[in-house]
Amino acid sequence: MSTPTQTETTSKSTFARLRDLWNDYLPYWFMAPMVAVMVMITFFPGAYDLYLSLIAEPTLDIFAADFVGLQNFETAFTRGGAIHSFVITITVVVSALLLETVLGFVLAALVAGVGSDRTKSFYRVLFIIPMAVAPVSLATIGRIMLNSEIGIIPYVINTGTPFAAPNFLSDIPLLTVILLDAWNWTPFMFIIFYAGLSSVPKTLIEASRVDGAPMWRRYVHVIIPYMKPVVFVATLIRLIDLFRTFGVVYGLTGGGPGTATQLVSINIYEQMFINNQITVAAAIAIVYLVLVVALCNIIIAKVGFEGVWD
Amino acid sequence: MATTDGDSATASQRLDKDTRETLVTAVRHTILLTWSFIVLFPLYWLASMSLKPPGTANSLPPDWIFLPTVYNYIQLFQDSGFVEAFANSLIMVSASVVLVLLIGVPAAYVLSRYDIPMERDVLVWILSSRMLPPIAVVLPFFIIFRELNLFDTRIGMVLMYVSINLSLVVWVMKAFFDGIPETLEEAARVDGATQFQGFRKVVLPAAKPGIFSVAIISFIFAWIELLFGLVLTSFEAVPVTLFVYSFIGSRSIEWGMLAAASTAMIVPVVIFLIAVNKYLAAGLSFGVVIKE
Repeated sequence: MSTPTQTETTSKSTFARLRDLWNDYLPYWFMAPMVAVMVMITFFPGAYDLYLSLIAEPTLDIFAADFVGLQNFETAFTRGGAIHSFVITITVVVSALLLETVLGFVLAALVAGVGSDRTKSFYRVLFIIPMAVAPVSLATIGRIMLNSEIGIIPYVINTGTPFAAPNFLSDIPLLTVILLDAWNWTPFMFIIFYAGLSSVPKTLIEASRVDGAPMWRRYVHVIIPYMKPVVFVATLIRLIDLFRTFGVVYGLTGGGPGTATQLVSINIYEQMFINNQITVAAAIAIVYLVLVVALCNIIIAKVGFEGVWD
Repeated sequence: MATTDGDSATASQRLDKDTRETLVTAVRHTILLTWSFIVLFPLYWLASMSLKPPGTANSLPPDWIFLPTVYNYIQLFQDSGFVEAFANSLIMVSASVVLVLLIGVPAAYVLSRYDIPMERDVLVWILSSRMLPPIAVVLPFFIIFRELNLFDTRIGMVLMYVSINLSLVVWVMKAFFDGIPETLEEAARVDGATQFQGFRKVVLPAAKPGIFSVAIISFIFAWIELLFGLVLTSFEAVPVTLFVYSFIGSRSIEWGMLAAASTAMIVPVVIFLIAVNKYLAAGLSFGVVIKE
């Protein structure tokens, strides 16, 4: 693929010249659209959020805006409930991540140990189905089944057990949100862990079995260390996606009752569209964005590439 | 004597082992069946609710046996915005999948085959786009889209859906291309094919399963997205998720129709998921787990 000389180029038709340009610089053409879109969706929103967070109010001419320093941040973190919403978000993210990781792993290990291949793939296919449910549809299901007047679950608890059912949406809203998210996304952990477990060499498992080690020790000392990269990737991606949570909470409780389930994403949304304070919303958004990206990048830098992407 | 002793010892051990194994199997299937129930019951409940005659959808104690009717579905398809929203989502999401593949697959090929300076940083940067909370991304686009007349348009929504899935497509397809031996294209090059022809005629066909599964996973992630629709549409480009949400928000909820709308939204995705279940782990783990 040598670059054509001057005389060759001039004697060629425009079409041929374009074709050469296409072929000679192929990697650039292939990369350019992706890079352009990436710049648009990474640098631009970050920069614009930062700009909005520092001004009094958006103006048509972006240079005409009044800069107010950190005033929006002050409003957000003193009166805007930003700190509360960060605490709520961390609670939901950490508990859901732990629950989904443990449940996903246990289910994957149990399915992997099933004797018959047919039963195995039956469970494997069945267990991924909840991922097909959009968070907002899950909120619908939650509202239908957990409603204290018409819901089947409170009804069963009240009539079938000696306990009185709690009001899932007002007494324990945070727990309800976590459990619903776990229903929705444990399949994600399950299917990745299942694939990871299937890739553990048979000889490794047999060797540890010969030792007579009990099952839990086989997992702790042999299988889980071997699966470290898979566990890392699955939890990292789930962590990233948990910070994106919006639909299930917005549809189920709308952040309430009060601000009991007000995630950062819901707080920003409300600042923006209910309080009409777009600059305060931007202040919370830029803090959230920086914290999440920094956290994920630190995790990747610390543990990331060892044995995962190398 | 010694031999009999040994025999009986092994026999009792074996018996012990057998009962233990039976016990383990019993516990295993009890847990798995319990989880199967947890997975299926809410979906069964939603579907059954959508098929109950109006007025009985939420009666307690529930009518376990009822004459199924498609009344709710007829209502849904006749006089609400459901068909429009469903079609909107179908069009916008499909278009975004085509676009994200056109942008992402060639880039993934270059990342797989060429020595890119700071390749690892480039990959992490691409992954970073997934880390940005959608609410922080959508805020600037809300302002810009108004200026550019992209607010409440399908094109605007397609662009936002592309932004969710581009990192996924690049990562998964790079992993797939890494698994395709380079000798294949080299052979084509020897036969006089250009690099592009090698890519199009040799590599792409070999990567078909990867493209297929990443397309479906991208479809699902865009299909279930609520926030972009909530912020960036109002009337013309409303996606089906927002339609379902607005149903919840309305004062007197028609439970039967709401259940029907949700069911109609879930069923196609279940079929998609089952269709790609073999490649799901590879796709969802951003291409890190390839074997299953």
